[in-house]
Amino acid sequence: MIEILDLKKVFENKKKGTVSYKEALKGISFMCKPGEIFGLLGPNGAGKTTTLRCISTLIKPTSGTITVNGFDSLKDDRKVRSVIGFLTSDMKLDGFFTPDYMMDYFGRLNKMSPEDIAERKEVLIKELHMEEFRNKKIDKLSTGMKQKTSIAISLIHNPDVIIFDEPTNGLDVVTAKNVTDFLKKYAREGKTVLISTHIMGVAEQICDKIGILIEGLIKELGSLDEIVKRNKTNNLEDVFFKYLEVQDV
Amino acid sequence: MFSDAYIIMKKELKRLFTDRRTVFFMVVLPLVMLPVMYTVMGKISQSRSADIRSYHGTVFIAPEMQKQSPIYEEFISIINSQMNVTINEIPEAYIPTAKELIKEKEAQLLITFPENIDFAFDAIQPFDIHVFYNGASDYSSYFYRRTYDAVNSLADTLIYLRLESLNIPTEILTPVTANRTISPELVNLAKKGSEVGKVFGVLLPFIIILYLFVSSMQVGIDTVSGEKERGTLAILLVNQVDRASIILGKLLAVVCASFASAISSVVGLMIAGRYFLKDLFRSSAEMSDFILGADQILQLAILLIPVAILLVSLVLICATYARNSKEAAGLVMPLYMVVLILSIGTSSMGETVPTWMHYTPIINTVVGLKSVFIKSSSWGNVIIAAVTSLIFSGLLIFFMIRMFKNEKILFRI
Ligand SMILES: Nc1ncnc2c1ncn2[C@@H]1O[C@H](COP(=O)(O)OP(=O)(O)O)[C@@H](O)[C@H]1O
Ligand SMILES: [Mg+2]
Repeated sequence: MIEILDLKKVFENKKKGTVSYKEALKGISFMCKPGEIFGLLGPNGAGKTTTLRCISTLIKPTSGTITVNGFDSLKDDRKVRSVIGFLTSDMKLDGFFTPDYMMDYFGRLNKMSPEDIAERKEVLIKELHMEEFRNKKIDKLSTGMKQKTSIAISLIHNPDVIIFDEPTNGLDVVTAKNVTDFLKKYAREGKTVLISTHIMGVAEQICDKIGILIEGLIKELGSLDEIVKRNKTNNLEDVFFKYLEVQDV
Repeated sequence: MFSDAYIIMKKELKRLFTDRRTVFFMVVLPLVMLPVMYTVMGKISQSRSADIRSYHGTVFIAPEMQKQSPIYEEFISIINSQMNVTINEIPEAYIPTAKELIKEKEAQLLITFPENIDFAFDAIQPFDIHVFYNGASDYSSYFYRRTYDAVNSLADTLIYLRLESLNIPTEILTPVTANRTISPELVNLAKKGSEVGKVFGVLLPFIIILYLFVSSMQVGIDTVSGEKERGTLAILLVNQVDRASIILGKLLAVVCASFASAISSVVGLMIAGRYFLKDLFRSSAEMSDFILGADQILQLAILLIPVAILLVSLVLICATYARNSKEAAGLVMPLYMVVLILSIGTSSMGETVPTWMHYTPIINTVVGLKSVFIKSSSWGNVIIAAVTSLIFSGLLIFFMIRMFKNEKILFRI
């Protein structure tokens, strides 16, 4: 369960003595419930990554509150991180080690017992089809294999909340399908899944709830059907472009 | 916090010590580089001086008419007994040609005598022998030095002759001498090994500091800025480990690695010492004399571990601030220069140092290391050095953790 209330984030940029401010998030509120996939849909620069980073405590909100499973992101940042599995495509793995070793390593950092780690590892390796390359150096793996390894590592502690920034970015169709199936399965098991994407197809196909984020503001919030009906259009694309056009004028 | 730091440290060490390149540069190279370097240098200088000594040279002496002079005969016999040369007596007219030959390195020496040296000697008129040589030729320079010595011993012989002819005892020349009647071993009262320690006291502290710094630079920059740059740090940050553990784990791993490197450089130097002590420093001390006691080894450890932590913290604080390895290297470089100059300067100082030096980090470690090697260390100063290093490291680590928690620094774009 993720609850976000009036989240604002202002970045301060110091360049050559002058300070400029970028208001990346202008006060957004939404809620992701267990058993649902929530999709944050928006063009590049809308503030999707910033939102997800705030939730995962990588950066601090300028104002507003974020609670994850009842833990406040500022006061209980460590607890928040312990219930979250966070993934982004620009988060790389140390190529020197094997997927197997990295899963052990992060399992131990997550305070799991060796037995739990071993058990969980087998489950993830099977689910993500990692049998063949679990003992190969990560450097030697393909992009898809690396992505699977990242997923396995982020989910080693079996978190209740999964946050995934652009889950299908840069993946081939097969791996992308593999990943989205995986996310659906987790939601069905009762976990809270929050993803960001700039691809409408992804939002349409896998998200139970969608928030359209443009220029740091949520313009639409609801299920696919609700959003389409409310805007009296046929599909998400029309809604999306409606907001982009308004902005252009 | 410490258990997480331990897990992180173990992983970092595994990464460092299973990477063949790192192991080679950090451990193997310092271990073999100095011995190999000094062995090669020693061999070259040995064979070179052997070559010079065995070289058969050509010496011209002018003018040729001195045949009947006893002084001249004496000089020639001294030359022949001390130098491996062929003596060519030449007429005055031939002098320019002889000089030309020396210039072209075809011959080595030209010695010219004034007229009537025996007459001058009898008349108590000092006379001057001219010795021409070629300073650009090692052989010629060598014969020149030997000829100088030969002239001095000729002078001694002549003085004795003169005194004898006047019936004056030759003892009149040396009313006082030093250590003629006692063997050299009995005169030198230095503690066993402290002389070798003196040579090492200048070299080792700065070599140790240097290796500690260079190796923490090599691995420290990569484990922090490198990971930041490659994007591999983020995955650690989104896990539940806190940032202090990450910093601590990485710091300890780099300390271990730089320590390993410093130790192997010291061992390398010890091995090299067998060669370079004699050849390069012309010291009579034996390497085998240089054995540290348990006390001194303990003092070394107490000095070195805190300073290693301090140097690694210095490197890591730059690495944390920098966006990438290149920027980090740029930030560390000036610090490296400062540390290098401080430690070279301090290690070449005399035995007594001003009090403030005992309280200044890095400088006090160099002073302390030196005092251990020359076997005159005091526990008080060793502990002061260790404590100041630890206080400064603590401050640096505190700021580093603050920086690690600061998103403006961690996500600088
Ligand atoms: N660390 C930062 N410092 C300054 N500006 C930033 C920083 N991170 C993001 N921004 C700015 O915030 C805005 C939103 O970025 P982001 O959340 O990455 O967008 P998205 O993920 O939707 O493409 C962009 O204009 C970006 O330039
Ligand atoms: Mg993004």
